[in-house]
Amino acid sequence: MNPSEAPATVPPPRKSRRLPGWAVGVLGVAGAVVLLSTTSYLTGVPQLTSTGTIQTAVRLALPILLAGLGGLWAERAGVVNIGLEGMMIMGTWGAAWAGYQWGPWAALVAAAVFGALGGLLHAIATVTFGVNHIVSGVAINLLGAGLTKYLSTLVFFPLSHNPRESPAVPKFDTYSAPGLSEWLGDLEAQQRVGLSDVAGILRGLVTGVSPLTMLAIALVVGSYLVLWRTRFGLRLRSCGENPVAAESLGVNVYRHKYAAVIASGALAGIGGAALVLNPGQPGYLEGQTNGRGFIGLAAMIFGNWRPGGLLGGAALFGYADGLQLRSGGKTFLALVYGAVLLLAVIVVWQLVRRRWFAAAGGIVAAVALYAVYYSVDEVPSELTTYAPHLVTLIVLAVASQRLRMPAADGVVYRRG
Amino acid sequence: MSTSTPATDGPPAVVLSGITKRFPGVVANSDVHLTVRTGEVHALCGENGAGKSTLMKILYGMQHPDEGTIEVAGKAVRFRSPADAIRAGIGMVHQHFMLADNLTVQENVVLGAEALHGIGGRARKVILDLAKSTGLTVDPAVLVERLGVADRQRVEILKVLYRGAKVVILDEPTAVLVPQEVDELFATLRAMQQQGFTFLFISHKLDEVRAIADSVTVIRRGTTVGTADPKAVSSRQLAEMMVGSELPSPETRESTVTDRVVLRVEGLGLVAEEGTRPVLDGIDLVVRSGEVVGIAGVEGNGQTELVETIMGMRRAHHGRVLLADRDVTRLGTLARREAGIGYVPEDRHRQGLLLTQPLWANRVLGHQTREPVAKGPWLDLAGAKRDTERIVADFDVRTPGIDVPAAALSGGNQQKLVVGRELSGDPVLLIASHPTRGVDVGAQALIWDEIKAARARGLAVLLISADLDELIGLSDTIKVMLRGRLVADADPASVTPEDLGSAMTGAGSTSAAVAELGGGE
Repeated sequence: MNPSEAPATVPPPRKSRRLPGWAVGVLGVAGAVVLLSTTSYLTGVPQLTSTGTIQTAVRLALPILLAGLGGLWAERAGVVNIGLEGMMIMGTWGAAWAGYQWGPWAALVAAAVFGALGGLLHAIATVTFGVNHIVSGVAINLLGAGLTKYLSTLVFFPLSHNPRESPAVPKFDTYSAPGLSEWLGDLEAQQRVGLSDVAGILRGLVTGVSPLTMLAIALVVGSYLVLWRTRFGLRLRSCGENPVAAESLGVNVYRHKYAAVIASGALAGIGGAALVLNPGQPGYLEGQTNGRGFIGLAAMIFGNWRPGGLLGGAALFGYADGLQLRSGGKTFLALVYGAVLLLAVIVVWQLVRRRWFAAAGGIVAAVALYAVYYSVDEVPSELTTYAPHLVTLIVLAVASQRLRMPAADGVVYRRG
Repeated sequence: MSTSTPATDGPPAVVLSGITKRFPGVVANSDVHLTVRTGEVHALCGENGAGKSTLMKILYGMQHPDEGTIEVAGKAVRFRSPADAIRAGIGMVHQHFMLADNLTVQENVVLGAEALHGIGGRARKVILDLAKSTGLTVDPAVLVERLGVADRQRVEILKVLYRGAKVVILDEPTAVLVPQEVDELFATLRAMQQQGFTFLFISHKLDEVRAIADSVTVIRRGTTVGTADPKAVSSRQLAEMMVGSELPSPETRESTVTDRVVLRVEGLGLVAEEGTRPVLDGIDLVVRSGEVVGIAGVEGNGQTELVETIMGMRRAHHGRVLLADRDVTRLGTLARREAGIGYVPEDRHRQGLLLTQPLWANRVLGHQTREPVAKGPWLDLAGAKRDTERIVADFDVRTPGIDVPAAALSGGNQQKLVVGRELSGDPVLLIASHPTRGVDVGAQALIWDEIKAARARGLAVLLISADLDELIGLSDTIKVMLRGRLVADADPASVTPEDLGSAMTGAGSTSAAVAELGGGE
């Protein structure tokens, strides 16, 4: 008896060129920094890596990150949560309602509760009643928008005299790393190639940090630990991969799906709170989320249903948004130049791998983008407003081919 | 009522008495009695749809009996869920593996039993110890999607053992294995039997039952027919207990091979992923009118890809496919089907049928442009229904009607429907991938007869099968496929399953035993 000698049924192991996840992350971050500082140097637009841009990017990335994290929880348990947007909207209302009365921490809690209620509704529909996940999600999006409209007319109108707006909500105090922040500021001001760019980015990350940012980062790490390092997480993920198998092993699939979708709603709700508690906003505003729940979903898909990748996706979208908001069309044009550089690298890589077709496609795209860069002085503001959406579209079109979603994601599971 | 070899004293491991289970419209089990003694391998035989699976689901707590009692180790028990059964020391290895592909072996094993040893290093150590003591070696850190069939089965068995099961239900464990793997599995089972494990072995492969079982219970139409000593009865007698009629055989007598070439494959090559070994490499193949060409090979050696390339579901990177001298290499799948290729896919659930659709809608699939299910640009629903009635009658598809969803049929009847559909519209070539996998003896006999009859009418057949008896019995020529290449020919008149098996694993492919026997072309 020697079971190891049955080679023919075992597919040959693929070449072990896979790097561990953290190494990919470090390489990705390093690559992004190199790309940005090169672009900044070649185009002479220092705003690309300035402290202010990064700070704005972080603030704008938070709602997307939290929404994406919500999506991660739900989809890892096999429930497609396209209702993130609606849960986020409910979160914004809850945050404003509790926030103007009892302060930012209460706002966070209320947002989580309101989002979780949306999640609960989604769970009841999809898990208990087997409604198609997309249908239920769309319904929740409509419901979230409609319900908050009603509630804000009812509650906020007497206070703010505007049915579309809440009274001002107090914000969190922000914190900076003492010493480090000033030193990095000096370094940035010297305008040295590369070094100042890194300093600007780091300074943006350690200056004026809101507790919300720290909470979001903690939630990313926490989600990873819970989902991949605990028994609960293993069971939850098994529901997204093969619920029949999980049930046969005594896992209560319904309960885990409920837990996951409710957590998902709570996270999306906190994402809504991040919008309301953004220093740039007075409080609740109708239409405030502006599709960020969907962008969060896109960030999660871009991140291959992993927390680390999701962080990268959220950073990308936040950065694109922050850049256009802060510096306008001219700076955004520099980003187009950066995209040309990135494409050039990709084309070389594809040529090395002898993928002629992909390489040709890359060249065509690069030439087209460069023509845009060369021919216009400034991207019109009508277009830059949609920068995050455009980036979403392009990134998903390019990246969606090698992704591995949970095997039973979106499949309605019936017990027995 | 049982008769044969004991292993240990004490109360029986499992006693089922008077089990009855009704589903709306059917009685799946009625008054079933089954006694399994501790330390024995007890086989449960029966046709598909005879009620074996339901019975095992009841024993494993997935279904609840309407009547009857279950005793485990002398104590009456009531299982509300599989968790209860697991607690009582009963484990089940399902026919369709219950594994999550995207989780590692270790995660799959500990899932649901995390309380025992956690999910980290301690669990890993327990798994490795278990693997060592039972011979079920597998790397706990690897993703299940990377494993072959035999390894997945090891994971399934490990899963059950990890939970401390002493009674293991194996649901058709050999259906997906080649002879050598079956031997390994049996060796493992015997070694574990020595350590005190009890096995309930569900199968309809009677030779295997006789090779491994200490006693065998036959179940027919939902009720137990009797228990026998496999050493004392022949396979034929067992089969007759199962079906109550004579034993079918795949054997074809006289050759009907003509010299008219129907399918010619020249230098076919396929690369799945850049920079890797090609999955198909220089395949040359000829199938003539009235000829059955069998492809033997361990799963994953390119048979699936070969079939899918001939069907046009994958684009060949090299070579040509000619159907009756017409080059079809650049045609799509539909055009190839219209040119007269019928295709029985290896997985009827994934490719052959729409399970939630009625039978007549399934009749339309792949024929949507042809008579009698289409008229010009429109589907002819009346024609489709009429022709479905014909298939149901001619192919003995046992169904309450043609409006029931395909999922309501048993595996054998689903497969009869697929074969009936693919033989409709006078194809010139039939590609049959595992045409009788997982079907009962009756359906198997019917499918064999239909293939033989079509062959006699001049149909060319390309047969891929893991059932070597079927392959040897039906084929006029056998070719052995290994790592994407046709490596040997075998003469079905004289080759044995063992010869083929060793050629398939590459162990004896160059030993010339098979190649010398071969007189393929």
